[in-house]
Order: sequence, then C-alpha cells, then structure tokens
Amino acid sequence: MDLKLTEEEQLIRNTAAQFVDKELISREGDYLRQDTRFLPPGAPVRRRLQPAVSAELAERARQAGLWSLEIPEKLGGSPLSVVARVLVHREFGRAILPFRPVSIPAFLFDTPHGEKLATGELSLALAFEEAHKTGELSATQILYRQEPDGTTLRDSSIFVSNSAANLFLFPAREQGSDRLGLFLIERDAPGVTIADEVDLTTDATVARLILQQCKVPNDRLLGYEYEAGEIIAAEQLNMAARSLGIAMRCLASAIEHARNRVTFGRRLAERQAIQWMLADLSVDIRTCTWLTLEAASRADQELTYFDEAALAKKRATKMAFEAADSAIQIHGGYGVCKEFPFEGFYREARLMRLLYGRENELDRAAGEKFLKQ
Amino acid sequence: MEFRLSAQEENLRKNVERFVLDQLIPLEPEFANAPDIFEGSRWKSRVKSSDDPEIKRYLGIMEGLRRKAEEEGLWHLDVPKHYGGLEVSNVALIAVTEELEKSSVPFELGNHVSNILYGCTGEQIEKYLWPCIRGEKTSAFGLSEPASGADPSMMQTTATPDGEFFVINGTKMFPTFADVADFVQLFARLPGTSGRDGVTCFLIDTGAPGYSIARSIATIAGSEPCELIFENCRVHKSQVLGEVGKGWALNQAWLGARRFQVGIRAHGKSARVLRIVRDLVRHDEKARDRWASTIGHFLGETEALRTLTYLGAWKADQKLDVRAEAANVKLFATELLHRVIDFALEVAGPSGLRKNHFLARAFRHARATRIVEGPSEIQRHIIQRALFREGIAGLELS
Repeated sequence: MDLKLTEEEQLIRNTAAQFVDKELISREGDYLRQDTRFLPPGAPVRRRLQPAVSAELAERARQAGLWSLEIPEKLGGSPLSVVARVLVHREFGRAILPFRPVSIPAFLFDTPHGEKLATGELSLALAFEEAHKTGELSATQILYRQEPDGTTLRDSSIFVSNSAANLFLFPAREQGSDRLGLFLIERDAPGVTIADEVDLTTDATVARLILQQCKVPNDRLLGYEYEAGEIIAAEQLNMAARSLGIAMRCLASAIEHARNRVTFGRRLAERQAIQWMLADLSVDIRTCTWLTLEAASRADQELTYFDEAALAKKRATKMAFEAADSAIQIHGGYGVCKEFPFEGFYREARLMRLLYGRENELDRAAGEKFLKQ
Repeated sequence: MEFRLSAQEENLRKNVERFVLDQLIPLEPEFANAPDIFEGSRWKSRVKSSDDPEIKRYLGIMEGLRRKAEEEGLWHLDVPKHYGGLEVSNVALIAVTEELEKSSVPFELGNHVSNILYGCTGEQIEKYLWPCIRGEKTSAFGLSEPASGADPSMMQTTATPDGEFFVINGTKMFPTFADVADFVQLFARLPGTSGRDGVTCFLIDTGAPGYSIARSIATIAGSEPCELIFENCRVHKSQVLGEVGKGWALNQAWLGARRFQVGIRAHGKSARVLRIVRDLVRHDEKARDRWASTIGHFLGETEALRTLTYLGAWKADQKLDVRAEAANVKLFATELLHRVIDFALEVAGPSGLRKNHFLARAFRHARATRIVEGPSEIQRHIIQRALFREGIAGLELS
C-alpha cells in the first residue's frame, strides 16, 4: 500500500486547488453579494453566473487543463486517471461558484461529435432520470426498436438538468429484450422537444426531454449496459469528490468561526456541543475520503468498482449535507444568509443525495445482493 | 496512490487465509457451543487451572492450533527481527487479523507481547522480554485506578524513591489477566508530581512483597479484570521500564498500537453478525424485504470501517502521527459494532439472547469495547483537540 499522492497526482491536485482559490473563491464575494438593498417579494431568485464570467472561467480552466478531464490526447487533451479526477473535483467542491470541469464519457470522443465536444462547441447533458432513484437502470422507461432503416424510440418524457445542452445522452431498453442501449441525440433532431424548464432549489434548473415519434439513425446507439454503468459510477465518484470539497470547506470555516466567536464568556471552540459536531464530521470526512479514493483506485486498476463508487457517493453526499448543516448551525444567523456559502452547499448537497441512487435504495440494493449470496 | 498489499504482504495474507480455511473453519461447529472462556487465544484466569475435562479439551485444541501456526511460521509476526521475529508491517498485521476474523473460532496468532516491553534494557530483556516472546510469561497492564480511568493523568499511585529502591503505594483497577500474569507493567507517579509529569513505569513480579491481587471482577463482557493493591511495595530501580519520570509516553504507545487491531476485529465481527442475520432471514421473504436496506446500510458502514482501519495502519507504518486516526478508528469501530449487534437482535428476537447464542455473547462483549482503552467520549475529545490544534491539515492528502 502507498496512500501518498504520486508526483503527478500532487501536481494536478495543486493545479486544481490554485485554480479554485484564485479564480473561483476569489469571485465568491461578487457572486454572493445581494445587489439590491431590499428584496422583491417571493422566494429568493435563482443565482446565475454572468455568461461573460462563465466564458472567461471556461477559457482559463482550459488553459490550466481543467475544463474537461476526459478529452483524449488525439483531440488535444490529457485524460486523467480516475484518482486524479477525484482529486480535481474535490477541489472544485470547495467553491460555491457554479463552475466545474465538464464531464464527458470518454467513448463519446470516438463519435462524429467528439471533436466539437472536446472544443466546447457542443455541450452534453446526461438524461439518466431512472438511475436517480436506485443508482441503476432496471426501471428505464424509454424503449427502442432497431430496424434496418433506423431506430424507433417510444414516445416518452424524462427529466433532464442542464437542459440548455446541444446533445443528450440517455439509456433506453430494447423492446422485447432486456438489452440496454445508450443513445446520443441532438437537441434539434426530429421528434425531440425540451420543455417545462423550472428552477430547482439549488440554483440549477430541470426540464423535460420529450420524445414524440422520434426515429434516429442506427449509429446513434453508442453503448450498452456496461457503458451506462460506467457513466453512473463516474457521476457517483464526481459527486463523492465534490462532497469532500464541500465538507472540507465547511469544516475549515466552522473551526475558524468557533475559534473566534464568544458566547457567555467562552469561545465556541471550548464548548463540547460544538467540539463533538466537528469531531464527528471529521470522522466522516476521513472515512469518505478514503472510500472515494479507494473506489477510484479500483477503477484505475480495472477491478470492479461500481458498488464501491455507489457506497462512496451515498456516504459522501450525506456527509456534505451534514457538514453544511453543522456549518450553518455553528455560524448561527450568518449560516442561513445567502451571502455566506453554507446555505448554498446545504441545498446542493440535498440534491446530490437524490441523484444516482437515493440512500435507502442503494442500501436496499446492497442488502439484497448480500442476501442472495 | 496504491491500495493493494505489497507482494510480501499479500503472500502472508494468503498463508493466513489458507490456515483459516484448513484449520479454523472445520472447527467452527466445535466452537459454536464452546463455553464462554475465551478472549482471543487467551483464556480466563479460572480456566487455566480448571479440571473440567470439557474445558481441558478446548485448551488442547487451542494448543494444537498454536503448534500448527508455529510450524507454518505464522507465530512471531509482530516480533521485531532483532528478536527473531518477522516484524511485519502494521498493514500486514491488519490483513492477518482480517483473515482470522473470517472464522468464529477465537484464535489469534502470536503471543501478543506488550509492545512497550521492547523497550526493556539490561537484565529486563532476559527476565521479561524473552519469556514473553517465547510465550512462557504473560504481563498485565496497570494504568487505571479507582478514581482515574479515562484520564490516567489523574493517577494517585506513588513511587517514592528510597536509595536504590522505589516504594509503591496505591490501587490499580481493571488490569485484565493480572491474576494469571507473571508480572504487571505498573504506572505510578513520583511524589509531588501531577498530570503527565513524573509518571514512571515499573515491571513488578506477581507475588512481590507488598503487591497483592485483591480480586477479579465479573463484567458484562465476560472478561475478568482485577483489582491490585500496592502497600509499601519496594521495587529496585532496575525494574523501571524506560526512564524514571518518562512513563507517560509508554502508556500512550501501548494504547495507540492496539487501536487499529480493535478496528479490524470489529470489522470482522460485524461482518459475521451480518452473515448471521442473513441466515436468520434466509427463508423468510417478508423479513428479507423488511431488513434488506438496513443490512445494506450496515454492510456499507462495515466496509467503511475496513478502509479507515487500513488507512490508519498505513499511516502508522509511515511513522506519522496517528493519534487522530487511532481515535477515529476506535470510535467508529466500537460504535458501529454496537449498532450492528443491536440491529441483529431486532431481527433475531428474544431467542438471540439465549445465553450461549453468538449474538448474546457478541452483545455483551461489544458493550465493554465502547469503554475499554478509552471511551468514545475521550476519542471524540482527542479528535476535536487535533482539529482545533491543526485545523483541517490532518485531513488533507499528501
């Protein structure tokens, strides 16, 4: 065993950390600042990164090699190991600014869209709605039927976030068999509509991807069960990594605040109620850090890692939620203010817990697998 | 970053795996109804001198296992090379225990020499260390007192210098196996000192004048710790382990080394408890459905404990400061085991509490682990102290 970071891993981690500090956390003040003295009535509006800022960050991230971590060498990228990707996403998790490396499944670079995906001309959304409940795809509702002149997709409607994307990747099941296929379709393909975009409580949106009399060329079928599993595991690891960043940030801030804030003549840091919240959080961070890295390392060594990734995701997103919860509690009134990042982390982590496998469903899947042994 | 065992460690793990399959698993039915006399490979005080043929039979089986393990070169794994052992890494010792824990037969490899005895010097080496390595002598650990447990810096037992001697006065609570041990590693303080200062460790032979073992004390866990009384016990200065007044570091070293083993044992036991739950619901579809997700939850927590334990052991091998990791593992392990067993009893119902049932025993034994060698609250204290001292640096990757 050697759990030290290799030189390469250190390098990429440090690059990501510097980027996050210099480009993202430094802009947080502007991003979080309330720009009117008094607020209009109603629920708080969704926060957005200015398009110009977003474009500038994308350009700088590209220069730093952090815009997308999967681009192959032939398209000018330098794909990272799974461990390295975890290290990068962990750093990005520390920032509340909604900017992070774009995740593109590697096999898409072998398609005709590959080049444009690599340059950012085209953007991708994953439409894996059914996977959000259980972390797997047995409930996939879209059916497909392949014929010599093309593939017919049964009329369906599924939720999709990042609905502004140009390309949508989604799983479908073959009619009359259990075979799972992955399809990539263009936003403007006949029979495809994006509708009903609504705000989520997390500064993101969700919309419906509607397929109606949609028939696509057969080459739109790009992968099968295993590729779909890989995408889910990769998303789970990204979220686990991001959660680690969130938790580290929350813990660091909570320690800092507890050291300074005085109540009834004593610093919060001296209060056992506060000490234990943070002690328990640090136990969780340590545990999730190594679960996540171990799952990633298994992926790099081509060992089975789907179950490990699901466990890391389940524990880490819950940890991030509790970290934000504790940070809010310790910061008191400031904790719930939108000028501080904690309430944002809290909302984001709550959503992550619902993506690519809810806790109880992942537990149930693991339990059922064990009971069958 | 590399999570796999080295080739050498993997080799050792495989050997132990084979030993478990060939030697321990076949004995499981035999041990399913064994009397509650074992704590690891050691047996309780009364048992050693028992005439009960049934107990003697079990002791004979254990002795046979020890011989086989010795033949296969698996006995002196943790003994330093300097003393003829294999001195394998902490990580390897965790892998070994992980394999052993796959069987319910309570057999451990090695004589478990108290790690601080490797600090013996001069005649102490022949008199204490070698006999312990060879398994001829055993030791007890005398730290806690009637009024100081979780915080040993409050100890009141004194060692008053008197020429070439020290005169020891005080009472020690809870040293396990003291009644059958050949000597005790006793911690006492120099007069007029307080806190961590002046603490000194003595090696005191059982039967030394002024040292008496008042009684052994029954506990929920079936272990039988003792109460030791020192009344003007004169000990020659050559019996001091390490330096006079430098005993605090020794008790911390002794406690620290054990944490990761506690972790991997709890991992193994928790996994076995979950297998028992699986057997209980095997033919009951409703129960399977009802408990599947809780079982899945605990499987995940058990896996998390394993990862955490290996991390700590690896850090210890790198000679890094592992106080926070050790506290982490001890807290996580003992609290998890408690919850897993508590859940298993919910599944099993009252029959799980039949006295010799595996769950009933596990239930009683697990309760003590949340206290012994530092209660959970002290572990949290150690963890938060590190946090407020170093911030998140201790959680960073390097």
